[in-house]
Amino acid sequence: MNQFLLQQGKAAELRLFPHLLEVGVKKNGAIQLNAFLTTTTECLRIYYIIEGKFEWRINHQSYVFYPGDVAVILPGTPFGSDNGILEIGSFTWLHLAIQKLDNGHLLPGKWSGLTESEGAAIGKILSLNSSPVLTRFTEAGKILKCIQAELFNHEIGFQACINHQLDELMIQTTRHMTRQSQPGRDFPKTFMRLEEVLRQDLSHQWTVEEMAALVGLGTTLFTERVKSYSGFSPINYLINIRISEAIKLLKRPDISVTDIALDTGFYSSQHFSTTFKKLTGYRPSEFRKNHLKNK
Amino acid sequence: MKCIITIELGTNGIRVFAFDLNGRVIGSLKGYYPTFHTEPDHSEQDPEQIFITTLYVLKNLLNEHVHPKKYKCACICFSAAMHSVLAVDNNGNPLGNAITWSDNRAKKEAQELRSSPLGKKLYDATGTPIHPMSPLLKIAWLREHDPVRFRQTSKFLSIKSYIIHQLTGEYLIDYSIASATGLLNIHTIAWEPDALQYAGITADQLPTLAPIFTTAGKLRKAYQQSLGLPADTKILIGSSDGCLATLGDGVNGEGNATITIEDSGAVRIMGPTVLKDDQMRFFNYLLTEGSYVSGGPTNNGGNIFEWFTRQFGDFTNPFDIEHSMQQLIEEAAQVPVGSEGLLFLPYLLGERAPIWNANARGAYFGLNIKHEHKHFVRATIEGILYEIYSIGKSLGEQRTIKSLSVNGSFGTLPFCTQLIADMYNKPVRLRQQFHSVSFGAWLVSATEMGIYKSLEEAAQTVQLPDVYKPNPQHHAVYADYFAIFEKLSTKLFDEFEAIGNLQQKHAATETTVKMSG
Repeated sequence: MNQFLLQQGKAAELRLFPHLLEVGVKKNGAIQLNAFLTTTTECLRIYYIIEGKFEWRINHQSYVFYPGDVAVILPGTPFGSDNGILEIGSFTWLHLAIQKLDNGHLLPGKWSGLTESEGAAIGKILSLNSSPVLTRFTEAGKILKCIQAELFNHEIGFQACINHQLDELMIQTTRHMTRQSQPGRDFPKTFMRLEEVLRQDLSHQWTVEEMAALVGLGTTLFTERVKSYSGFSPINYLINIRISEAIKLLKRPDISVTDIALDTGFYSSQHFSTTFKKLTGYRPSEFRKNHLKNK
Repeated sequence: MKCIITIELGTNGIRVFAFDLNGRVIGSLKGYYPTFHTEPDHSEQDPEQIFITTLYVLKNLLNEHVHPKKYKCACICFSAAMHSVLAVDNNGNPLGNAITWSDNRAKKEAQELRSSPLGKKLYDATGTPIHPMSPLLKIAWLREHDPVRFRQTSKFLSIKSYIIHQLTGEYLIDYSIASATGLLNIHTIAWEPDALQYAGITADQLPTLAPIFTTAGKLRKAYQQSLGLPADTKILIGSSDGCLATLGDGVNGEGNATITIEDSGAVRIMGPTVLKDDQMRFFNYLLTEGSYVSGGPTNNGGNIFEWFTRQFGDFTNPFDIEHSMQQLIEEAAQVPVGSEGLLFLPYLLGERAPIWNANARGAYFGLNIKHEHKHFVRATIEGILYEIYSIGKSLGEQRTIKSLSVNGSFGTLPFCTQLIADMYNKPVRLRQQFHSVSFGAWLVSATEMGIYKSLEEAAQTVQLPDVYKPNPQHHAVYADYFAIFEKLSTKLFDEFEAIGNLQQKHAATETTVKMSG
């Protein structure tokens, strides 16, 4: 099992795993030209570096990979090497079929044992993450090795075991991503990042599970942390951001109240109006009128 | 029964307290709002988010803690962080985010003004050090770099002025927040013409100056209804967090100093006159007419120990930084006073008082083969507190400090409080129960309502029960080491500048290497 390439439709080993499009290990002893051209695919690609140093381009940006690093390439993202050069070293990878939803979020397939909400949360983290490099992520190497061994050994229960390992790979990858995005390892920074993500997509119907997953915590601990840090429950914090954003929009005469309601994530203008009035004492239209006639 | 509500508009969030008329806390709630760093050196906050958070927290406090117990809110009093600027148009609508005190975008402007004769003149008139924190320089920056926003601006407000305007419709600024803008002549209590001219604005572009006991009109009807407050609820404009923390610690009149150490820190004294200083090191802010809160701020307080903890602490639980800090402090306690000659200069964020050198950098000095991890922990804490001591020492050149009190999360750790007592060789009183700032606001409200005759009388009632006594032997050790600390911080001036320049130069090269190779 020194070096191999299994591809869906060609390799018998993958027949039971239609979602596993490609699995491989490559050891490259000499620099090769035109061996690693930039391509775009509709699957999720995960590359793990075993030895050597590789310089690859992901989405037209250069990244350098060292042993223990992982490259996570999302569907539709161009990936390869400048000039197609493949440097000396070895790496292992797998390509995984994954659903891409209309809103750009990813969803693990039917093979996954993750619950619907956890799967959605993981897909969201994957699609929101801006850095495709996960440094010092040796667990990924171990999981890939285990998947390969199971594929060849066919021991009892290997099918469940491989699907389970794929879930494990998704879980560990998203955990690594959320940890990596919190360089300070403390909650205030994490919270700041959460706030940014929420503001970028206020019209999304955020659930506490999704928010918790974004920072890599379970919902109970997440709610407790948010409450003690910010003074608000996660949902009330979200409502506060929504109303603050809505106030800004209400001060501009060119957007309709209904549009403001939907843009800031309320179900309807009625829902917006009730929440707004409860907090400020004004209906949104009254608030707007007061502000436009002011002086 | 009547109650008093205090609203503290802080750097990271809002804290609202309800007090009864004896100064006991009936309830308190907090709410967080973020600071955005859209560019390096920029620190901004969303005024609407601050306003909504204020309403939300106030509403919940009134519902949860005040109404069920049948308290009637008689008075709401504000405190706020200093040096914020918010540009609004002639409808009172914000033009972008508020710029907060920690914003350093006006660095270049500050450097130029500070070294000019006008800078010296403005410092003498306004009592505010010439520094990018000052709204004076932030407004000047907007004029130069954001001319469209500058032209559209009808008024330049502080965050507190904006919130009060939202609630009542009045544009007001209290003396202390005004005196921290760098635009107020603190001797005449009028906007300083030279400062206005430098910033390129007119006096009617600023809110109306108001003494501490000013009532900011009536709460707008809609808020009376949504908050369930009676129409005659007094809205007191109050003061700045720095001035109220000083007052809340019972400091009023000469001879007392108070030390605040949160992320950053400050040493403050109060007196009937301003501190004059040729080196422009101290601030002088006006609490009330004829009563100045003076002192020096440091950039490097609890934030530096937090930095150290993140780098060298043991994180079994990645979210629990307090726990790691506590472990480190226990480690530090095993090391003799003075860390066996290991000194730490805490200038990781440059420094304000007393050296006012933005280029200053951190350093460990005196290292020998005996020093272990725990020595670094103790030296780091000692370094932060030497810096606090050096501010107190330079204040002491003009005023006699007889007693000291400490507040703020980092300063009030017992280990740190004892160190402060030893370094200063003075007993240190400690307030542990709650925030001095809000208590200061309560003292103001209680005085306005006639419970006390004057702020002096109010301040005298403050009791700080915990006293840390100085250890003279420890003081002698600290005095020896401090002499070297002080020398180093001024001697390294050229090297600080050189390393700062090199860091900037090579940071730029490194980015290019990463991108290309």
